Amino acid sequence: MALDLQPPDGRKRVKVYELRDNDWFDRGTGFCTGQILGEEPRIYVESEDQPNRVLLETKITKDDGYQKQQGFCPAVPAETLIVWTESNGTDMALSFQEAEGCAVIWDFVNTVQQHLLSLAAADDALSDDLESYQSIVLPAPELGNLPEIEQIVRAASMTQAGRDALSKFIIRDEYIGKLVPLVTMAEDLESLVDLHRLCNIMKSLILLNDNTIIETVVADQIILGVVGALEYDPEFPTHKANHRQYLADQSRYKEVVPIKDPLIRRKIRSTWRLQYLKDVVLARILDDPTFSVLNSLIFFNQMEIVNHIQSNAPFLRELFSVFDPRNPDTKRKDDAVQFLHQCAAIAKNLQAPSRAQLFANFISHGLFQVIAFAVKHPNPAMRTTGIDILVALLDHDPVMMRGYMLKAVNEKKTPLTDTLIDLLHAETDLGVKNQLADAIKILLDPQIPLQDPLARAGPDYFKVRSSNLLSDAFVQQHFDESSKRLFQPLKQLANRPSLNDLTFQEVTLYSHLVDILTFFVRQHLFRTRNAIHSESLAPRVAQILTAPQKHLKLVALKFFRTLISLQDTFYQALMTHNNTFGLILDIVHETMPRDNLLNSACLELFEFIKRENIKPFILHVVEKYREKLENITYVDTFQNLILRFDQMQGYGAEADSALFSQDEGTPRRMPLNGQRWQGVKEMDAAEEEYFNTSDDEDEWTQDNRATLAVGAPNGSASPMVKPLVDYPDDDDEDAMDTKSEEVPAPSAEAQPLTVGDIQVEPSPEPTSAPTSPTAQIPPVPERLTEKRRREEEDEDELVKLAAGPKRRSSTSSNSSAGMMNRKKNLSIGSLGSVEKGGTQGVLGTVTGAAAPKRIAINIGPVGKAAVSDTETCAETVSSESNEKENRDDSQGDEGG
Amino acid sequence: MSDLDRAIEQLRACRLIPESQVRELCYKARELLIEEGNVVSVDAPVTICGDIHGQFHDLMELFRVGGDVPDTNYLFMGDFVDRGFYSLESFLLLLCLKVRYPDRITLIRGNHESRQITTVYGFYDECIRKYGSANVWRYCCEVFDYLALGALVLGASSELEPTMSGGNDITQSTMPIDDGELETEVLNSRGEVTMSTYRPRQRSSSDVSTDSRNISPPRDISAAPGQTGAPTRTGAPGTGASGYGNGSAMTSRTGAVLCVHGGLSPLIDSVDKIRLIDRKQEVPHEGAMCDLLWSDPDEIEGWGLSPRGAGFLFGGDIVKQFNHLNGLSLVARAHQLVMEGYKEMFDGGIVTVWSAPNYCYRCGNVAAILELGEDARNGGTVARSNGEYGRSNGVVGADGVASTVVSPGRRYRVFEAAAQDTRGMPAKKPVADYFL
Repeated sequence: MALDLQPPDGRKRVKVYELRDNDWFDRGTGFCTGQILGEEPRIYVESEDQPNRVLLETKITKDDGYQKQQGFCPAVPAETLIVWTESNGTDMALSFQEAEGCAVIWDFVNTVQQHLLSLAAADDALSDDLESYQSIVLPAPELGNLPEIEQIVRAASMTQAGRDALSKFIIRDEYIGKLVPLVTMAEDLESLVDLHRLCNIMKSLILLNDNTIIETVVADQIILGVVGALEYDPEFPTHKANHRQYLADQSRYKEVVPIKDPLIRRKIRSTWRLQYLKDVVLARILDDPTFSVLNSLIFFNQMEIVNHIQSNAPFLRELFSVFDPRNPDTKRKDDAVQFLHQCAAIAKNLQAPSRAQLFANFISHGLFQVIAFAVKHPNPAMRTTGIDILVALLDHDPVMMRGYMLKAVNEKKTPLTDTLIDLLHAETDLGVKNQLADAIKILLDPQIPLQDPLARAGPDYFKVRSSNLLSDAFVQQHFDESSKRLFQPLKQLANRPSLNDLTFQEVTLYSHLVDILTFFVRQHLFRTRNAIHSESLAPRVAQILTAPQKHLKLVALKFFRTLISLQDTFYQALMTHNNTFGLILDIVHETMPRDNLLNSACLELFEFIKRENIKPFILHVVEKYREKLENITYVDTFQNLILRFDQMQGYGAEADSALFSQDEGTPRRMPLNGQRWQGVKEMDAAEEEYFNTSDDEDEWTQDNRATLAVGAPNGSASPMVKPLVDYPDDDDEDAMDTKSEEVPAPSAEAQPLTVGDIQVEPSPEPTSAPTSPTAQIPPVPERLTEKRRREEEDEDELVKLAAGPKRRSSTSSNSSAGMMNRKKNLSIGSLGSVEKGGTQGVLGTVTGAAAPKRIAINIGPVGKAAVSDTETCAETVSSESNEKENRDDSQGDEGG
Repeated sequence: MSDLDRAIEQLRACRLIPESQVRELCYKARELLIEEGNVVSVDAPVTICGDIHGQFHDLMELFRVGGDVPDTNYLFMGDFVDRGFYSLESFLLLLCLKVRYPDRITLIRGNHESRQITTVYGFYDECIRKYGSANVWRYCCEVFDYLALGALVLGASSELEPTMSGGNDITQSTMPIDDGELETEVLNSRGEVTMSTYRPRQRSSSDVSTDSRNISPPRDISAAPGQTGAPTRTGAPGTGASGYGNGSAMTSRTGAVLCVHGGLSPLIDSVDKIRLIDRKQEVPHEGAMCDLLWSDPDEIEGWGLSPRGAGFLFGGDIVKQFNHLNGLSLVARAHQLVMEGYKEMFDGGIVTVWSAPNYCYRCGNVAAILELGEDARNGGTVARSNGEYGRSNGVVGADGVASTVVSPGRRYRVFEAAAQDTRGMPAKKPVADYFL
């Protein structure tokens, strides 16, 4: 490479500095020249007093970020400094005596670099390097310079290169610290304009989204100045926030047991400040990158704090000794509970192993006694706190908790469950009651959920595990006994002639108990059978159907709806041997034809029986209540049930065999698995068509049938897709409805147009059922990903429409589009597979329609055993959400 | 009930009510909502509002622009919570108003009225922050389960009473037909008319359907006419929706307006089908109930996958078909941010209404509410109730003949985020004390 450059003339007097340990170390004074030695351009400084001593010899490369700056002497605002970083990482500075000398060397460096760059650009055309090495220098931090500073900062924030350069400068120059005194200065001068400028500058600097800058901001000497500036938001010119007042208030920090390590104390302080910044100061203006930087800083701080606490044995001993019964200081006890509660809340965000370790440590120091203390506290707020801690443990590892509990039973101690059950019965605070019910649900849940083994890999893991190896019979026995205790009030309902005089507290209790029972039935029908049978709980729940409180009726109704969906002979017998359906029909009678929640819930129950063609129920209901059914004409649900019944009688033998075949040995369809049972379905279409053409069918249905076949009316995917809407070109296809069996599924290949409708590239797979718009919907491989991170949902809802100027991360919208594409491609893939199954299997005979097997993310524990298709989506749901859903699982069995 | 009035007053000032009052309020609301059908019937006049998302001060601005409760009849299409910093204040105020004036305000469920979603997008955290425990969140979630899934607006007038604009008329009228019927009007927050469209007064049943009512905000160029090249049928499809009549004799010329948060579902072919859902549950991940709350209209044909991971995309043909079969003239929905506050699609068959200005405090959008006027010829005598019309009340064409329905006159009031000085700096509530 030929450098046809001329080195500058003359020698410039200069001081050479080197940055050592954050201090500029003076290497000496000398004369600086720019030289080209061979092909190498370099800066050369010879000592002034020892001419042969070389103070500096550095090669100029295109990559070095040279900066020209104002000199160290603020009195002479001339640019006499050149600053750069050596290739070995050392920061260097040349301080020229004359600005003119500085300029000469600066020009030389610039020329050389430009030349080198142009050569490099010609070589590999990496022209954007040019931008990324620009450097930024802010004027001296003075009130007079604020307009210029603001302008430069704003301009630099526009580009990534500018942001990088600005961050570098801010950090190197410790610029924020220099701005801080200006705040009080401007306040003293009552210069609102300057304060607004300072606020804008601070905002921009924080939004540079640099870890080091943000850590600087929350440092002790800096924070008040920064938030002070941020109190004067130009967007709210008539307002002034009081951040400083809040953050300066030392009394907000409480200590139960003093933490001595100064580093940890500082971490605690700065975490608190970061949270305040995130939630209050910057809440409105935070963009996603800064939001996540703040979050991750908080996360790492908290991890260190928690690790410190749990490894600090004397601290823990002192903390838990507070709960010694001999200690009269109740205030301190309350504080200690609060402290543990906060630890538990933080632990939720930690990774499973450290969380496990923390909890194991707490437990070994006596956390359970603390919980026992808290849940019996006279103050409801403290009870809530206590249960919160318990729930955090349960969320973390229910198996471990059950292990501890069973261990207590085994050792003939009172298990926690008994305490909780008694509390649930007696509790008057409805919020606490609510929580207790949830905790009991998880604690007694007899099913052991699969879980990430890491989550339990605490030190106590094996100890607990071994105690958990108690016999299944023992577990069952404990479950039965606890259930007996738990549902005792429900059982006592038998002695009550009428439910018209239920107190408010009773109503709440029964509603919780039936809810828990429903949960047990759904989670583990076999284990729960005992409890329901021996305590004869089903008639009691049926009794509740007669309560005047509608929401209580609903809870009972939900219980029976769950029993029905289980399609289990034991539960079927329970329902058909009692007057359960009579009571439900009474509710329909009472509410009809009004359109309300209770009425809809009843209709849905009967629609479900009809749709799933659950023969024992159809036979029972129609045989026993035919007259009642005939009188309900405002919807066709009940007439259809009768039709279905009559039709079964017509096919008598078949119906019987279907009935008797439903023994326990048959693998049951589990609706919770998100996949529909396909069994009896094929007959459906034929049957329905048969009756559609009969005279019995009322007009409504007939017309309906002609124009649009009825999909599944309830809130779930139809097991069998029928044409939903009659399309103009499909008139000739109507025959398919009546003679569906004759249509071979692959015939759909002749109509590939539907594939095009999915607005993605055509799929080679045969698409069936061209008449059905639903068939165009491929199974959705990635279901509700509402646990998507904040950024992602923003993309969904925001980026699409608002490519607003305030969002500068253009990359995120690109990735969003990419993601959508990916989803579509994925779905096409699985469409193919499902349809292949369809053509080979059962579905082939049914109107040739592929079921829109939309796969739910089964958040509930059952969903863990998901179909293979769901694997991708299951992964998108964080384990945390899993836990939450577990606890709040009050949704119908349809949702899963 | 003075307690309730006090609570309303307090909440209007953006101050929270005590936990015990929240609990009581939620129980009362539950008693009320349990009586509502999955699809509530609402009579015009009514003002339809979209997502609020905890932007309390903007909700106040909405009431300023649209009129206060109970003077104005409101219908909120869900998503009261999450995102904004005042979900609690916003939702509790709306709930108080609902309990206080049950006939003047209707709340339906949005996809954010769910346990799962609120734990991720802010409402849960806000409850913990402001009340110290999750109790209030639980009470609210319980109420969410009782919220109706949709509403049917009946008796809306096809023609608007022209708004008297001030001296400075900034109207840009698209069809200044002297004899035209005022069909849509767009007003800014000062009540000035910024746009109006007319339809010809003389009409036969055939030319109404070809009426140019694809109005959209002037800035919006996305809704090109003839959006799909689909062969759309102009007449009654198949044997028509004749069976729906069922003796219901609505005299209104305009079809009913279905309001849902998200959109249509492939499992729901008629409004009656919505009534067969047991809605008291967490919003499921699939199925009709999920779709109603999650779906979006899109410029496609038929149904498509939703990028949201729940619900579906549905095209103009689906909307046309659904409206026709159910005698609807319009589907009003929310769920999607639209920069202009509202957006009509598919020849005016569906409209998105968005009522959270400057969404998330940074999107820079304006918000809108949709006013439907009362058909004077009804005499305003139709009582508001649930299910009293019989179960097929959404249908015109009393004789069982599928007649073409006329869209209602639509007045959009567009408004911007509340003025800065009325709302202070929005922020979350900081923790009071801390140990760690």
